[in-house]
Amino acid sequence: MTRPLIVMFLVLLVIAGGLGFYAYHLHQRVAQEEQRLAEKASVALPAAGGPTIPVVLYVASDADGALHREQDNLPLPEERSERARAILRALLAKYAAGSSPHPLGASSDIRDVFLLGNDTAIVDTSAGFADSHPSGVLAEELTIASIVQTLAANDPKIARVKILVNGTERETLAGHADLERFFTTSEMEIFAKDAK
Amino acid sequence: MPEERRRRLAAWCIAVIAFGAALSLWMGRGVVLAQPAVPGQLAVYAPQAYYNVPILSLHGQPYVGLVELLEPLGTVDARVDGKKLKMKFSAPNLRELELQFQDGKDKGKVRGQTFKLPGNFVIQNARGYIPLSAVNDVLARALAVSIRLNPAAGRLFIGDVGLRFSLDMRSGPPAKLFISFDAAVNPTIATEPGHIRFTFRRDAVLPAVDHVSFNDPLITGATFTEHDGAGELDIAGTVPLMANFADGRKTIIVTGVPAPPPVVVAPPPQPQLTAPTQAPPNLPKPPSGPRYFVMIDPAHGGSDIGAAITNDLAEKDLVLTLARRVQKELESRGIPAMLLRTSDTAISLDQRAVTTNAARPAIYVVIHAANTGSGVHVYTSMTESSSTTSRDFLPWESAQSAFAEQSEAVAASVMGELVSRKLPNSLMAAPLRPMNNIAAAAIAVEIASPDESVPDIAKASYLDQVAQAIATGIATYRNPKQGTHP
Repeated sequence: MTRPLIVMFLVLLVIAGGLGFYAYHLHQRVAQEEQRLAEKASVALPAAGGPTIPVVLYVASDADGALHREQDNLPLPEERSERARAILRALLAKYAAGSSPHPLGASSDIRDVFLLGNDTAIVDTSAGFADSHPSGVLAEELTIASIVQTLAANDPKIARVKILVNGTERETLAGHADLERFFTTSEMEIFAKDAK
Repeated sequence: MPEERRRRLAAWCIAVIAFGAALSLWMGRGVVLAQPAVPGQLAVYAPQAYYNVPILSLHGQPYVGLVELLEPLGTVDARVDGKKLKMKFSAPNLRELELQFQDGKDKGKVRGQTFKLPGNFVIQNARGYIPLSAVNDVLARALAVSIRLNPAAGRLFIGDVGLRFSLDMRSGPPAKLFISFDAAVNPTIATEPGHIRFTFRRDAVLPAVDHVSFNDPLITGATFTEHDGAGELDIAGTVPLMANFADGRKTIIVTGVPAPPPVVVAPPPQPQLTAPTQAPPNLPKPPSGPRYFVMIDPAHGGSDIGAAITNDLAEKDLVLTLARRVQKELESRGIPAMLLRTSDTAISLDQRAVTTNAARPAIYVVIHAANTGSGVHVYTSMTESSSTTSRDFLPWESAQSAFAEQSEAVAASVMGELVSRKLPNSLMAAPLRPMNNIAAAAIAVEIASPDESVPDIAKASYLDQVAQAIATGIATYRNPKQGTHP
């Protein structure tokens, strides 16, 4: 092999090594940025915005495949949909906790709750809520039942609930539970009756 | 710049460009070099089953998954240990044997004998893949039966499963071509001017002739080809051809439809002349009477992996394994069963419902698996019972309503079997698609680990217990007195 070819080979080798190092560096930066965004988006408990009121939360448990009725005291806003949102955020905060019996992703959040008429609630969840949700028929149904029954327990007028993801309709929550439909509180009542 | 230096610089530039181009070509040779076209699926005809295995392109060569290939034929226990794949395989009338392969090596070991593969073994995502061209060698060594592989057509025959046919041209009028098979066949039939084509996808029809010409003015020849996982018999003629089945679908009779006499174009004063009407051909009738069978839907597939049960096991694979076991158990109880997917393919929820409703099964069972909780959960669709009496037209979103009672009865029967086998269980309604679109009794079964150890979900003994419970529950629902052989 001639000297120029050896030099050229070495130069290319150095360039390849440099590019590899740069790609690794970029990969690390992207991972760090994703972690930072996930932490930033994690659920925060609602800030005190009104009088502290006792609320009922139906908390799902994967271990026994059931809902558990818990009572909590939360500072809640006066407005009905804001109040529903605050209660659901408190529910999701329980699922985001490290010791949760039904862990959901840290980026799960309630973006908004819209009330249509007296009896219908549209719950707009964050993309992370669905994207990071554990996949499974029971796991997904428990989450939905927990949301529906918590809303109904604290606002008995609510009879139908629709769940959106990032403002749009999604086919399923995480591959199983149908999100194209409305859920009625009567359908999910069995979970509340059996709640422990 | 001196002339000599400029020349050296130019030579350097040319050398660098040439080297880069050569390097690019070498690295991308798998892409650049033209590959022979290979089908996307390998159709496997075996005494136990007909199934499809995806053909993947790895390192520019066609490969198939070893587990996917062997699992429908018996019981597979595969374990990836670093770069090695060790697999135990057993089947009825075959003593347990061990297969060993190593990632990146072109040698394998079956029944303790080392042999050479035509390409390197590949392990990807804890799955082992062999070159497509190695399939016949590996299977012949493992199963000790004759293997026929047509890699270009994506057809694999294991053992003596091939159906042969003979052609018998009988002169007319009208001339008739009798195509006789060893067993009943169910091809799809397509016609176009001068041709009638029979495509055998599920029937293991072997090529008997490549091409034969007939000395007949209407039916001129027959050509058999294999492609895209199917065999195709093309009958050529000079007139439109039609086919009738006879002898319990073991014989197809092809006849030519003589061209109608030419229409006489009447002169204006005599417009009453018309062409003679042609009698409608005697087309085969659909099988009479509904067939009682169960449609088993292994959920997910393809890019939709479902839940990640463990790092190495996706829900889509586990449910396919369980679905196959349920099918075997049902068939051993005399109940025909069909799998909605037999390989790792993506099917939309709507497609699943459309296919099921078109097939008109008696019962639809969709199988899921979860990495949370424990036990076996049986679900019916979360739809209101309907008083609809007509089942001709059902709303798509609530087609299941009319079958709610039957679905609950099937679910209760399966639950009874789970209880009797002391498997942890629950029964509830779930908002689970496509169950609400199914126009038949429909249940979903989701398995989780039998205990606190998630990997135990894939234990063969556990899957067998669950499969037996589902099958016995369905058999009991069909015939409460006998339970097993309705």
